[in-house]
Amino acid sequence: MSASTERARNALVYSSAYLSLIAMAEVLIVSALLSLPLTPAAIVVGLVVFAVYANDRIADAETDAVSNPGQAAFVKRHRGVLYVLAAGAYGLAVALSALGGPVALAITLLPGTLWICYATDWIPGDGAYVHRLKDLFLVNTIVVALAWAVTLTFLPLAFADGALTPSTAVVFAYFFLRVFTNTEIPNVRDVEGDRAIGVLTIPVVFGVDRTRRILLGIDCCTSGLVVLAVHIDYLTPVAGLALLAGVGYSLGITSLIGRVENDRLLAKAAECEYLVAFVVLLCAVLIA
Amino acid sequence: MLTLTVLSGLLLATIAIGTAAAIVAWRERPEPGAVPLVALLVGQCWWSIFLVFDLEATSLAAKVLWANVRWIGVVVIPVAWVLFSLEYTGRDRYVQPQYVVLLSLVPLVTVALALVDSPLLYADSRLVYEHGVPLLSRTPGPWFWVITVYTYLLGVLGTIPLLELIRTNSLPFRGQSAALLVGIFAPWVSNALFLAGLIPVSGLDPTPIAFSISGLACLGALTRFQLFGTSPSPNPRARRLLFERMPDGAVVTDGHGNVVDINGTAADILGTSAEDALGNPLRAVVPDDSLALTEDSVPAQRPFRSAHSERLYDVTVTPITDVRDRTIGHVVTFHDISEHVRQQQRHEVLNRVFRHNIRTETNVISSYAELLAGEESRDAADEITGSAARIEDLANQAREIIEIFEQGRQSIEPVSLESLLDDGIESVRKEYPAARIDCEPVPEEIAVAGVLDPVFENLVENGIEHNPDPNPLVHVEIETDGDWVRVRVVDHGPGIDADERLTLERGTETPLEHGSGLGLWLVKWGTEIAGGTVTFESNEPTGSIVTVEVPVLSRSDSPRDESAAPST
Repeated sequence: MSASTERARNALVYSSAYLSLIAMAEVLIVSALLSLPLTPAAIVVGLVVFAVYANDRIADAETDAVSNPGQAAFVKRHRGVLYVLAAGAYGLAVALSALGGPVALAITLLPGTLWICYATDWIPGDGAYVHRLKDLFLVNTIVVALAWAVTLTFLPLAFADGALTPSTAVVFAYFFLRVFTNTEIPNVRDVEGDRAIGVLTIPVVFGVDRTRRILLGIDCCTSGLVVLAVHIDYLTPVAGLALLAGVGYSLGITSLIGRVENDRLLAKAAECEYLVAFVVLLCAVLIA
Repeated sequence: MLTLTVLSGLLLATIAIGTAAAIVAWRERPEPGAVPLVALLVGQCWWSIFLVFDLEATSLAAKVLWANVRWIGVVVIPVAWVLFSLEYTGRDRYVQPQYVVLLSLVPLVTVALALVDSPLLYADSRLVYEHGVPLLSRTPGPWFWVITVYTYLLGVLGTIPLLELIRTNSLPFRGQSAALLVGIFAPWVSNALFLAGLIPVSGLDPTPIAFSISGLACLGALTRFQLFGTSPSPNPRARRLLFERMPDGAVVTDGHGNVVDINGTAADILGTSAEDALGNPLRAVVPDDSLALTEDSVPAQRPFRSAHSERLYDVTVTPITDVRDRTIGHVVTFHDISEHVRQQQRHEVLNRVFRHNIRTETNVISSYAELLAGEESRDAADEITGSAARIEDLANQAREIIEIFEQGRQSIEPVSLESLLDDGIESVRKEYPAARIDCEPVPEEIAVAGVLDPVFENLVENGIEHNPDPNPLVHVEIETDGDWVRVRVVDHGPGIDADERLTLERGTETPLEHGSGLGLWLVKWGTEIAGGTVTFESNEPTGSIVTVEVPVLSRSDSPRDESAAPST
């Protein structure tokens, strides 16, 4: 791999830019599932994901030095530029969301607000220490899952002035469960680091084997939810097929937890679940 | 429609830039001014966002709702601007919760009136159509003008401390304050044009568009000029700290002679307290004329003996002038010179001892040695007389050193180098008639410090005295570049011992490492008091070269008088 390609790959992976591409694919999936027109929502979500995760990596650069030294080094080296880029991305996202109206604006502000509560001791301490939500068991994962599920599901809806339907609830539940799983898988890799800094995650509390079983259970629940939604006509069979393909991929990844050496690659592979669903959905639409 | 699209685009740019700048500023907490700046930028974004909603809405009710909610952002901006300016320039003692509440009263009333759509804020709201685009046109009520004047007043108040920074010598502070002032002036001008009815589109306040300039200016100040990386906020406190903790006493009086500031040292000197002195005439604190303030525009010095600490002070009264050079007050400083005066007294006693007592005693010793000298004890008597003479020489050198120190403390008087060298050489020639002393011609116009008189005489005398040759030779060379003059004294005697040279270069002696007398110390100290340096080298095949390098003084140089204190 040439030096320039290596730099581009590092910038894409370590800066969280690739996550924003995945998030944009997720918004397109939501738009297809809920039959919504294409709006700037995908761009807004992409920008917000980039901003939030870039900031998260900046905030955790010191602790990530043990579990992910390459990423930590990249973030430390480009800390200033990355922060300004993240700020610019969030600013652009907020500006674009204003076009979608007050609800779209509020949804766009939600991940940023929750991230502040999640990752920083932002309340000035006058003796009363306020914990980061990131340090609280289960609350941390639920907050992340909730924030992204709301954003992914309701932002395209707000932009398109769409109505709330049972399908919306199914899509919301699906993304909540998927983000929950995908948030806990990287925690397996970080178990030593999290334990050292007192962050309670499922792998820290239950161990790796029980975590695998819990996450497999969540995958199965998601599959059941999709099958049920197709059965009662809240989702089309094509949409159900695409989502099940993604969940099937996730089951395969989850079953490898604790059984492969490269935990980092496993976490990255898990994040690509939506790309599988997106590709299947795209193929299905093209064939249809 | 195109106008609306362009307008929306500009507003989106404003929101994007403002939000980005707010996030960058947020990271700078708890730097002074960071939180108010975030509030200011959020206020600007809020205003712009709700203008977008207003423009996107089509019904009068919706437009009125968004326009009213917009006021939250509108009123935050001036309050945040003042708080930012105060914190950033180090006046954070005014950024207390009670003051913030006080500043926020009018804005809070305004938001309340806006949210209930009170006619006090807007008497009338209607839709007007510009190129088919519905715009909200409102008739201001009385409270609108109250909040407008209040907003502009806070804008001016916040600008004043930053204008002061524009004039500082610090390039980053000038850049920071200039960027911030551009950032505040752009929307200010836009709003003034709107209020004056000079905007061609009815019902459209372009202020939020100008916020894009504000956001860019803030981003520039944050990233380019390190707005919070290099901050002037410690300056006022540092000046206060310096005033309070300086070892000298200091009193500040206004144009009427009333004490407006006094530090702890001055209060102790004057036997008062800050509470008692502040606001009262200085004359009431010190009833006699010893601290009388004058109308002179130049600093005046005078002695002052404290009745409360029994110490002596050198008082300097410096006038404070305004831009028109009018005296608007005085700074009176008290510099403790008790130790200097004591030192002076010791010098005088030592001077008398060296000048009279030792000479008298050595004369007595020499006389009695002569009386006791017989044929067989002639050598012993000569030895006693020689020793007594050396003691007297030593005393003379010690006295000369004391005089050099005194001259250095009192004044540096320019004297012709030619006359200094002529006098010194003449004096040595009288003492050593067999010696040959060559001196290069000295340019007449060169003047040096008068304190060098014994320096040159000692150098020439050393070159002769220590040379065993019956006709010793000393050569004096002069070299000048206009600002400095180098006087080189070359002899062919035994030279200066290397250890003694090292001792002189080090500047101190120890019981084991010391010089042979006081002569070379006199040369070194005298040259240093004259503002120059002295170097010692070996001459070939024997002897030494001593170079005295001193600044050339102007004839018009007035003597530097540092001794206003009387000897007591």
